[in-house]
Amino acid sequence: MKKYVSLLLFLLLSLLSGCSTGPSGTTTPPKSAPSSQQQTLNLYSWADNFNPEVLAAFEKKYNCKINYDVFANNEELLAKIQAGGSSYDVIQPSDYMVATMIKLKLLEPLEVKALPNTKGIIPALRAPSFDPEGKYSVVYTWGVTGIAYNKKFVKDTPKSWHDLWNPAYKGRLILLNDSREVLGMALKMHGYSNNSTNPAEVQTALKDLQKLMPSILAFDTDTIKQKFIAEEAWIGTMWSGDAYFTYKDNKNIGFVIPEEGATIWADTFAIPKGSKNKELAEKFINYLYDPEVSAKNYEYIGYNDPNEKSEQYHSKEYNNDPFLKAAKDYITKGEWLKDIGDALPMYDKAWTELKTGK
Amino acid sequence: MQKTWRSSVLLAYSLAVLAFLYLPLIILALYSFNDSRINAVWSGFTFKWYQALFQNTRVLEALTNTLIIGFFSTIISTALGTTAAIALHRYHYKFKTVINGLVYLPILIPEIVMGLSLLVLFSQAHLPLGKPTLILAHITFCVSFVVITVGARMEGMRNDLEQAASDLYATPWQTFRYITLPLIMPGIIAGALIAFTLSIDDFVISFFVAGPNSTTLPLYIYAMVKRGISPEINALSTLMMCATVSMVVLAEILQPRHHHRSQEE
Repeated sequence: MKKYVSLLLFLLLSLLSGCSTGPSGTTTPPKSAPSSQQQTLNLYSWADNFNPEVLAAFEKKYNCKINYDVFANNEELLAKIQAGGSSYDVIQPSDYMVATMIKLKLLEPLEVKALPNTKGIIPALRAPSFDPEGKYSVVYTWGVTGIAYNKKFVKDTPKSWHDLWNPAYKGRLILLNDSREVLGMALKMHGYSNNSTNPAEVQTALKDLQKLMPSILAFDTDTIKQKFIAEEAWIGTMWSGDAYFTYKDNKNIGFVIPEEGATIWADTFAIPKGSKNKELAEKFINYLYDPEVSAKNYEYIGYNDPNEKSEQYHSKEYNNDPFLKAAKDYITKGEWLKDIGDALPMYDKAWTELKTGK
Repeated sequence: MQKTWRSSVLLAYSLAVLAFLYLPLIILALYSFNDSRINAVWSGFTFKWYQALFQNTRVLEALTNTLIIGFFSTIISTALGTTAAIALHRYHYKFKTVINGLVYLPILIPEIVMGLSLLVLFSQAHLPLGKPTLILAHITFCVSFVVITVGARMEGMRNDLEQAASDLYATPWQTFRYITLPLIMPGIIAGALIAFTLSIDDFVISFFVAGPNSTTLPLYIYAMVKRGISPEINALSTLMMCATVSMVVLAEILQPRHHHRSQEE
C-alpha cells in the first residue's frame, strides 16, 4: 500500500516540479538559458544575514544559484533538519544548537583542506566550547551581551551589572527575553559561571532579579532596538551587533561590557547530513572568509568580522568603532552558553518564577 | 427617548467592536508610510518602504514562490473540488453524510496537526521538501473550501435544465460542458479565489512542509520580524492585506448565497 502511495506522490510531484521550474527559472538574470551544469546551493539561514552583493558575486563566480531560505529561531532549524528530506547544504545554527546538533549526529564534519580562508579566524573563535575541535562549525557572526544605555538619561557610564539595579532607571530598563541570557547575567554579576548548575547560585541570581522586576519596562528581544532608538528604554542588556545597529540611528547610545564578565555568543556555518552538494557548500563557506569578501559582507551586516586578515580591507570607521572594538577585545574573556543538560529545568523554573512573580 | 439612548449605546458598542478588529490593521498600514524607521515615531509621509520592497530580491523571490504555489494549488484543488462537489451533490449512496463530513474535516482539523502530519507523511515517503510538497499541502486544505462553495451553488440549482438538455439528445459530456458548467461557474470562480487566498496567506502548514527554494511571503515576514520590525514589513503586510481583502470581496460577490442574485439568473 505504502509503495503505491509513494509511487503516486512521486508521479504527481515530478509532474508538478516539471511545471514549476519554468516560471521560477525566470527570476535568474539573462543567462538563465538552461545551462545544465548550473548547480544549486540550498542555504538555510536567518533573514538579512548577508550582503546581497556578496551572494550575487558568489553565484556568478561559481555559476550556481543560491536558494536562500530563512528561519526565525534555532528550534525551527532543528525541527526541519531532524524531519529530514529538506536537503539543505549550508545551515546557520547558533552556538548551543551546534552542540545539540553534534550530539544528535546531524552535522557533516567539515573538510579543513577545503576551507583555507578560515585560517584567518581569530584563534579564540576557532575552537569554541560548543565545538571544541572546530570540526563541525565555523563562527560567522558573534558578539558579546553587554549593557546598552542612553547617554542622555544615564549620566554615569555603567561599569558593572549592578548598575542596572539603580532605582533611577525605574520603568526604563529592558532585559533580553531569554532565560539563559538573563539568569546568566545575574550569575555573572556574582562571579559565577553563566552555565552554573549549582541550585544555590541560580537561586541567588533569581533573588536579585526579583528585586529588579519593578524597574523592568519589558523582556524583549525582537523590538529592543526600536525601544532604544525611540528612547523608551534608557538602559538594558543588548547584543553588541544590535548595539552597533542602534547607535547608527541614535547617537546617544553607548555600549559597555561590565567588569564582572559577560556572555559571548555566535551564529555559525555548518553542513547538515544529507547535503547533496557538500563541495559547493564548502566553497561557499570558504568564499565568505576571503578577506576582501568578508570585509564587504561584515560592513553591510554590521557585526564583528571574525576574520583577522580582512582588517586592512575594512573602512576606518568600522575598524575604530568602539562597540565592535569592545566586543573584539573581550572575546578571550567571555564565556559561551553551554548545553547544561539536566540543569535546564531548573533555569526554566527560575525563569517562570521571575516572570510570574511567584 | 429610551429608544435613542439604547440605539446610541448599541452604536458605540458596534464601533468599539469594529475598532478592536480593524484598528491594529489600520495602524499597521499607516506606519508603512512613515518616514522614520522606528514604528513609535511619526516623522512624515513616504513611499520609500514600498520602493525598497520592490528592490529587495529576496522579497521578490518569496513573492514568486507564493504566486507559483498559489497558482498550481488553486488550479488543482479547484478541479478536484469541483468534481467532488458534483459527485457529492448528484449521487446518493451509503454513508453520504459520513463522506460529506470527511470532505469538510480538513477545515476543522487544527492547522498545526495537519502541518505536522503532512511533514511526517512526506518524510516517510522520502519526498524532498520544497515547492511540490507545499503545493500538495495547500491542495489538501483548499479542496474542502472549493467543495463547499461549489456545493452551495449546486444546492440552489434545480436540475430541469440538465434534464431538458438530455431530452434534446445532448451527450452527458455536452450537458456538462454547456449546461452544468456555466451554471456552477460563479461557484467555481469563488471557490478558486478562496483557494488562492488561503494558499497565499497560509503560514502554519507551510511552515512545516517548506524546503529549499520555497520560502513564501508569510514565512519570510515571520523570519524578518526576528531581525527587528522595519516599516518594510508593514509595507509588505499592507500589500498582502489588500490582495487578500480584494479577493475575498470578489469571491463574496460571486457567491451564490444572495437570493436576489440567483433569481436574476
